[in-house]
Amino acid sequence: MRYLMELVMSGLVIGAIYGLIAMAFSVIYKATGIVNFAQGEVGMLIAYLSWSFSTTFGTGGFGVIAFAVVAGVVLGLLIERLVMRPMLGEPVFSVVLVTIGLAVVLRSLVLLIWGASPHKLDVDAADAVLRFAEVGVRTSQLAVIAVLIVALLAVWAFFQRSRFGVAMRAVAADEKTARLMGVSTAQVQAVAWAASSVLAGLAGVFFAVIYNLSPTIFALGLKAFPATVLGGLDAVIGSGASGLFIGVAENLVGGYVSSTVKEVAGFLLILVVLMVRPFGLFGEREIERV
Amino acid sequence: MRSGYFKQDFDALVALTDSRVVKFWVAALLVALVGLPWLANAYLLSHMTVILFTLVAVLGLNVLTGFTGLISLGHVAFLMLGAYGYAIAVTRFGWHPLLAMGFAGAVPAIAGLVVGIPSLRLKGLYLAITTLAFSFIVSALVLAGGKFTGASRGIMVERPAIFGISLNDDKALYGFCLLLAVLTLLITLNIRRTRLGRAFVAIRDNDIAARAMGINLWRYKLVAFVISAFITGVGGALMAIYVNFVTVEGFPFLLSIEALAIIVVGGLGSVLGVVLGTVFIVSLPEIVSALFSTLGGGYAEVLTTSAHEIKSMLYGLAIIAFLRLDPRGLLGVWHDIRHTWVHWPLRY
Repeated sequence: MRYLMELVMSGLVIGAIYGLIAMAFSVIYKATGIVNFAQGEVGMLIAYLSWSFSTTFGTGGFGVIAFAVVAGVVLGLLIERLVMRPMLGEPVFSVVLVTIGLAVVLRSLVLLIWGASPHKLDVDAADAVLRFAEVGVRTSQLAVIAVLIVALLAVWAFFQRSRFGVAMRAVAADEKTARLMGVSTAQVQAVAWAASSVLAGLAGVFFAVIYNLSPTIFALGLKAFPATVLGGLDAVIGSGASGLFIGVAENLVGGYVSSTVKEVAGFLLILVVLMVRPFGLFGEREIERV
Repeated sequence: MRSGYFKQDFDALVALTDSRVVKFWVAALLVALVGLPWLANAYLLSHMTVILFTLVAVLGLNVLTGFTGLISLGHVAFLMLGAYGYAIAVTRFGWHPLLAMGFAGAVPAIAGLVVGIPSLRLKGLYLAITTLAFSFIVSALVLAGGKFTGASRGIMVERPAIFGISLNDDKALYGFCLLLAVLTLLITLNIRRTRLGRAFVAIRDNDIAARAMGINLWRYKLVAFVISAFITGVGGALMAIYVNFVTVEGFPFLLSIEALAIIVVGGLGSVLGVVLGTVFIVSLPEIVSALFSTLGGGYAEVLTTSAHEIKSMLYGLAIIAFLRLDPRGLLGVWHDIRHTWVHWPLRY
């Protein structure tokens, strides 16, 4: 029982990280209709920036998180303005390939600047252990789950209540009509990139705090794909929640079946899901009219 | 009296080329390529061999992504299956090398069928993600394969002798790769101008319209997957022979991206574009290292310590730059050059 509880707990933790990245994917997909293959790399870059920040300016937990958020906004806006904005109106295939190119560039950039050896991102009080019944949990692990929940609520409120969120949904539903109604597509895209970079950045930072910081973190982006697809590319809340599901499922497979299967458990799961529902569990079915 | 240049039958219309100039230059290029082993040094020869087997593999991806418009992010899996298929057929089953080459194509082709069937329901990005998932599953399977696949240790592949000619000689290996590359080129060029190829392109341009015209999407998408996987698998076998060794680490995800980069940089959907893109992307690191070493000193040092990073960064930048500045790719540049050459000093 205790083994099971521990597996579920650590599954929830890694699942929260997947969930954050999956939300980052679907925010961009919802607003612009493309999948950003550089999501994991963006998270990695922000994690490394935060590491540099914490080693020079001190390791206060809130300081590091605030920095990660600011870095996410700035990086997101920069990428959007320099790389994505000029591609507005190009075919989806080209835009997606640009993000793949961006991913490769960011990955090598991190390796060039920070090198390949792993670091530990130290944050005050992150390793303090709390006990619930029999399972010990670190504060950082609780924090990442809390952050996911806050992010889910915030995104829900943003899309339902705020004027800009409604504008974003309008662009996602019908770009042309939204533009005729006076919504600026470029602005929506900029906000989406900033928001998704913040989410990915938080995921990267928490991964670095809980596990370690190495140039292989970008793989988080790939590992979060199953969560995104399971939830549906255009379902932000659904993706976030299915992150938790994938995390737990992966850990249970790793604990009870084998560690090789664990690596691909998520992918096997989405193959099955896509076969039944090709648009994800919560995604909107696309109806094509000729 | 003829008052213009007309094509009077269907054969003339779909002929690969009707230009005497093009035929002459292609023949000249072929002669040069055949004569290369006796002229070039070992370094250039091995570089050319890399270009040739990369060309074979990427031509395979081109059938799927360039012709049919199905984005695959997992083509490295077919490459890996081809390489392992060859290695296993030769070392475990003791087959004849040529038979093993066929096996190296057949294994990915069957795998292509397996990925193809679930992919029929999927479109665009969902398909890309499924192929990505497939490539991870394949490497996990190879790692879990125990002694049969060599797991993480890999398999040694000895260079075979074909019809009494040992491929241990670099010249012979080059010749073998050249032969297969030319064959593959001819095959893909001919696919493009038959019913099959036109159906692929119709699916790429508008699948709903293609379907309305009586093209069986199901069948043609599957055929595209199978052909593409087969060709890429043969490329993988050549790669295994060249490297003498197959491991899972030898087939990183980056290779899928490199192949896509070649197709995009060359010019989407064109065979000539693939050739140009392959030569450009494979030579890019060499060109840059030559550039850096002429700059000398500190730059050259940076390059030797982090060659891999700079190489992959260049792929990324090349992809972004081409998509941003000239989406037609190198093919477009080539057309511009040809245009200027023919019409100079007039603009058109």
